[in-house]
Amino acid sequence: MGDEQRKGIGRRAFLRAVGGMSTVAAAAAAAPGEALAYDPGPEETKASYRETDHVKAFYRVNGYETLKK
Amino acid sequence: MARMKFLCDADRCIECNACVTACKNEHDVPWGINRRRVVTINDGRPGERSVSMACMHCTDAPCAAVCPVDCFFTTADAVVLHSKDLCIGCGYCFYACPFGAPQYPRLGNFGSRGKMDKCTYCSGGPEPDNSAAEYEKYGANRLAQGKLPLCAEMCSTKSLLAGDGEIIASIYKQRVLQRGYGSGAWGWQTAYREGITV
Repeated sequence: MGDEQRKGIGRRAFLRAVGGMSTVAAAAAAAPGEALAYDPGPEETKASYRETDHVKAFYRVNGYETLKK
Repeated sequence: MARMKFLCDADRCIECNACVTACKNEHDVPWGINRRRVVTINDGRPGERSVSMACMHCTDAPCAAVCPVDCFFTTADAVVLHSKDLCIGCGYCFYACPFGAPQYPRLGNFGSRGKMDKCTYCSGGPEPDNSAAEYEKYGANRLAQGKLPLCAEMCSTKSLLAGDGEIIASIYKQRVLQRGYGSGAWGWQTAYREGITV
């Protein structure tokens, strides 16, 4: 029984090795830099609104009873 | 630069919910969530008021302030948008928003809520304008088509105004000047300590 255990990697040794590897991996992942906020480019934040005829008609219709007078 | 705003003329809203329906239809909003809602106070009693509410696209948006992944951004038109690719569905924005604008499509295992969904002022999201990917995630991009949000455009009583804040404010101001004092606007009673005449 004791000989069989010595042949392969023991359960405790295995868990210790896996634990050590995951700690190293986590440290490596966290090390490179700080968290980056989402930085939308100029294309995403560009102004889409244009005062087209369609929009002008909306303003005219909504203000027809007041702005004309 | 024009700043996009919504303004609901509470004297005109008749609680027809057409804005809600139009929004859901235009953007294929999923079951169970509404990007826009009509809130009624004193329902069925004298002094009843209704107001159509959605994301108000705040200048200093609380949703953006609390987002742990910083997925919100404000466009040059002052429209507050978010990236569904980054959203983790934590729900902080829902608690922070004074208008209850952020909505979640589903509740999954371990309390996961899916990606947050809210009014985009009919201006899509970070994806290319009027692309299929943009429509799938955020709905139609009417602003890029030279139009305004559909909820306001199809309001039958001209209650819901949308567009350049200065222009719609002048329209509303003229309405108030013409119809007299005591507009019933939100905050009137708080600000002036006077009752609202109906």
